[in-house]
Amino acid sequence: MNLFPVLSITVPLLTALAAALLKGTYCRTLLLSGSLLHLAFILKSVELRFSGRWIGLTSEYEATLLLLTSLLYLAVTVYCAFWLKAEETSDKSKMVLGICLPLFLSTMTLVLFSQNYGIMWVAIEATTLFSAPLILFHRSGRALEAMWKYLLICSVGIGLALLGTLFLAFAARNGGVVLHDLQIAEFLKIKNSLDPGWYKAAFVLALAGYGTKMGLAPFHTWLPDAHSEAPGAVSALLSAGLLNCSFVGIIRFATAAPAALGNFCSNLLIVLGVISLATAAFFIIHQGDFKRMLAYSSIEHMGIAAIIFALCGMDLTIAHLCAHSAIKMALFLLAGNLLLACGTRQVGKVSGLFTLMPRNAILFLTGTLLICGVPPSPLFVTELKLLCSAPLWLALTVAVLLFIVFAGMTKNVLAMTMGKQGEAEVDAAPAEKLIWVPAAGLIAALVLAVYFWTEFGGMLK
Amino acid sequence: MNMTVSLILTAFMAVCLLLSASSRLLHCIRMVALQGVLLGVLPCFMWNWESGVPGGEFWFSSFINIAVKGVLLPVMLVRAMHKAGVKRELEPLAGYSWSLLIITVAGALALWLSRSLELSGVPVLAVPAAAMTVFTGLFIIISRRKAITQALGFLAFENGIALFGVAMHLEYGFFVELGILLDVLVLVFVMGIAVFQISREFEHIDADRLNLLTDTEEGK
Repeated sequence: MNLFPVLSITVPLLTALAAALLKGTYCRTLLLSGSLLHLAFILKSVELRFSGRWIGLTSEYEATLLLLTSLLYLAVTVYCAFWLKAEETSDKSKMVLGICLPLFLSTMTLVLFSQNYGIMWVAIEATTLFSAPLILFHRSGRALEAMWKYLLICSVGIGLALLGTLFLAFAARNGGVVLHDLQIAEFLKIKNSLDPGWYKAAFVLALAGYGTKMGLAPFHTWLPDAHSEAPGAVSALLSAGLLNCSFVGIIRFATAAPAALGNFCSNLLIVLGVISLATAAFFIIHQGDFKRMLAYSSIEHMGIAAIIFALCGMDLTIAHLCAHSAIKMALFLLAGNLLLACGTRQVGKVSGLFTLMPRNAILFLTGTLLICGVPPSPLFVTELKLLCSAPLWLALTVAVLLFIVFAGMTKNVLAMTMGKQGEAEVDAAPAEKLIWVPAAGLIAALVLAVYFWTEFGGMLK
Repeated sequence: MNMTVSLILTAFMAVCLLLSASSRLLHCIRMVALQGVLLGVLPCFMWNWESGVPGGEFWFSSFINIAVKGVLLPVMLVRAMHKAGVKRELEPLAGYSWSLLIITVAGALALWLSRSLELSGVPVLAVPAAAMTVFTGLFIIISRRKAITQALGFLAFENGIALFGVAMHLEYGFFVELGILLDVLVLVFVMGIAVFQISREFEHIDADRLNLLTDTEEGK
């Protein structure tokens, strides 16, 4: 019974080893087979709930996120299979991709399966380490700078989270509880005995630490650089998969709060959420780089997810994360297509895409409207529910900021898609063939929208 | 035993001062390695020997800590240093006299603030030494230009956090300890590669001169 989770973590390690030994040949086959096997193991694992000392699956939200991550990885590897051919990548770059992508998947899976604060920390730090070489794929000076910032800022942040984990353990000891290790289930049982002072310090550090990894402002400074310099497929995984895993770290700390401190945690999450939303709105307005724009959009949605978690509970938060992942994956893959075709990320140099690359342009515009929460987006349902549950001042602030983001993003995308051909030389043919996976992501988002209306729509009345 | 523990913790604080005041990279690497060795040795002196001899896991964990932090990481960092061709940090953002002063004040503050924390069973100098080491690590990351020195600052920061754990008798469990060490090892490995790539691409390893990525118009 416990075999499938262990397999889902170890089989990607084996494909990474195979990629290293084969030095980049058969990379696409290895990636695809690894992702299919991983999906199969995850499908078998989520049928059961089991708890263990190190790994286990005890709640619905972990199961949903595991499925989401696995499907996301499968979509990205299918895209990579075609994109690597179109981009004519060298064997060395393919080897790095073939080694680091499965390791990245394996560590993300471990974060979600972990039942121990220590193992969760090790896994989250490992995701940083294995995703850093992926950012360096294009080997330019800018990519190097992005990778260095990512490594340093995220590692320092996660180090703070380790300090927070220690303080949490000390809060348990001060509260008179004897714990032998950092099992999450144990903490949930004894949470009301935790020393409140030490718990507050622990939560603040964990929020700062895992919040850095999640992209909450003001700890977000690495995110626009890393997500824009990485190739489209890697940015899709980072934005749509990794941010969710980091959020799980914060969720696990917040759920261990003593009853009296629940408000303290919610207030902190709301403050950081609003700051993230405001930062994203501010930087999206005059954004000249369409991948950075998408990165700031990720910051915006992580801020919204934090506010939803503080006010509306787990179900809506996970719904928001799933919808965001599907649409953001599609958008980053499309941005990768645009970069492949136009050779530039500057919005000012790209225009007239409706005539030059109609399929990509239509999907990109649709994706942008969906990510801004325009109906029939699934995010419309979650954001509307948030606005209905929030106090008036918060709802107004969030609504205004969402509108600013919508205005900024659509202005850029309309400038890119309409009009005549801009400065950039456009080679549309290879990019037009790569639209199937992003299209599937957007269709999945629309299906989710229908599901959300039936699930949550009733509560709105 | 209490005396030895106090000596080791004082040595930690002294090493922080030495770390903040030196421009020679090799010297700084050795100081961070010394912190690692002290960390590996400290649990042996904090153990309550009257309750019996500790098990195999304890000795293995100490040995691995000393091997990784005292030997392996310094070797990797020295190699990265030679490959990048740097030996000194000559123009830090905060001068060496100022650095020394700031770290001393931080240590004094840590000692003063931790007086109000009443922790039973924890050595008196534990929290100040750990807080000072964490602060030193963060200060080095912020105030130094070279990427290698920033990596060293990160290691000092991790050592400070580990010191909190050891000094407060907090046990994570064997696999988690190994996992943490493995993470730090792979991190330094990846950072070493990054430093080499940066030196090759830019012909310098000054992290503050890496400023191509920006949201303002001038940077584009």
